[in-house]
Amino acid sequence: MFDRGEALALLQLGDSAFPAGGFAFSWGIEGLAADGLLSDRDDLDRVIADHLAQRWASMDRILLRRAWRAADSDAIAAVDRLAEATTPSAEMREGSRRAGRALLGVWVKLAGRLSVSYRARVSADPRLGHLAVVQAITGRDAGLSLDAAELVSGWTLITGLASAAVRLGLIGHIDSQQSLARARALLADLLADAPDDDAMPSSFTPFIDIAVSRGPLRAVRMFTT
Amino acid sequence: MSRLALTHADAPMTAARVGIGGPVGSGKTALVEQLIPALQARGIDIAVITNDLVTAEDAERVRRSGLIDPERVSAVEAGACPHTVIREDPTLNIEAADELERRFPGVELILLESGGDNLASTFSRDLTDFWMFVIDVAGGDDIPRKRGPGVIRADLLVINKVDLAPHVGVDLARMQREATEVRGGRPVLLTNCRRGEGVDAIVDLLEREVLFRT
Ligand SMILES: Nc1nc2c(ncn2[C@@H]2O[C@H](COP(=O)(O)OP(=O)(O)O)[C@@H](O)[C@H]2O)c(=O)[nH]1
Ligand SMILES: [Mg+2]
Repeated sequence: MFDRGEALALLQLGDSAFPAGGFAFSWGIEGLAADGLLSDRDDLDRVIADHLAQRWASMDRILLRRAWRAADSDAIAAVDRLAEATTPSAEMREGSRRAGRALLGVWVKLAGRLSVSYRARVSADPRLGHLAVVQAITGRDAGLSLDAAELVSGWTLITGLASAAVRLGLIGHIDSQQSLARARALLADLLADAPDDDAMPSSFTPFIDIAVSRGPLRAVRMFTT
Repeated sequence: MSRLALTHADAPMTAARVGIGGPVGSGKTALVEQLIPALQARGIDIAVITNDLVTAEDAERVRRSGLIDPERVSAVEAGACPHTVIREDPTLNIEAADELERRFPGVELILLESGGDNLASTFSRDLTDFWMFVIDVAGGDDIPRKRGPGVIRADLLVINKVDLAPHVGVDLARMQREATEVRGGRPVLLTNCRRGEGVDAIVDLLEREVLFRT
């Protein structure tokens, strides 16, 4: 069961220090806090749970799995356009593309075969480069299994949210570890059930979507989303 | 400084990327505002990236300055990590620079203003071909002696606000001498970015060391 090689790859690729710009995205944490909707660890745990269950599991994960199965660049691009079409918030779309393109850029420099060929497409089409899709491409370039790629995707979301909350002064470093442990258990639960191959991406996180969408209206803002 | 490489792994012809770091308030944006017309006057095609800390104020200031097409100014948020975004994880800045190059194919030089930080901030070589560190005389003439990595390792140290020296009791000649000493003789230039004094010397250096024009 325990594959040391893959476990070590996960530690490297799922590390918050992996240089793909993740630290600049709060995915709504900053906005919710600014609007008084997030001020302590309980609030944070609820937001992380929402993110995971109502968005990541039904949306990002589905897109990732579709992109994983895609036979060629055309098929990957079709999943990418589906990500674009199923994300109503412009700021959410933009954030997802910026995060995705940053991750893709790293793997282009690491000479990932799929990443290099897909990057050419992304450069030519401003709608492409969504994070979940790029996570599939780069996961394949990294030689991960689908299970492992899903894990990295869910885990980097969780660490990104908790670390944004720490930097915003909403929780301390110990609270953050407790939130992470809780979220880890939820992620494991979600991953235990494999979705159908023909599942369509969907999400329902209205508060998070509104918080991210309101980003450009706030005068004081440290995060991209 | 002849080690500067103008080629990046995935694109053969890219613009030179020039970083501008230094503590908050030392005059980085003021220097950018001086460099834009000075570079343009020499026919150099430029674009700008800012890494504002908490607002897009610097980006907006440069966009509204009337000095440059606002489309050529990009803002990159740093998630409260101004060091990280130029050093350990410069990916978002690299993407922003690549994007500017895609949109403006003739661009020759991209100025990248850091969010402003302490003396320990340095730029990744993967991000910039050349970077300068801006301190100001009002911060005290002991700054060079503190040997911060920014002061020591920058390709160019700029000591700004020379006009304030008499008001804050700074011996400018000594400050420059000590700065040159701790930097092992590498370039130190003095500026007054309110009035544009000393900016031409920086442009000369950039033309020579970064654009390889003589
Ligand atoms: N007296 C004087 N003030 C300057 C000079 N350069 C910049 N300033 C002022 O210093 C303040 C901070 O400058 P700014 O460019 O915003 O600093 P930044 O935070 O490093 O970008 C502003 O009020 C500038 O007008 C200078 O050479 N002399
Ligand atoms: Mg500034």
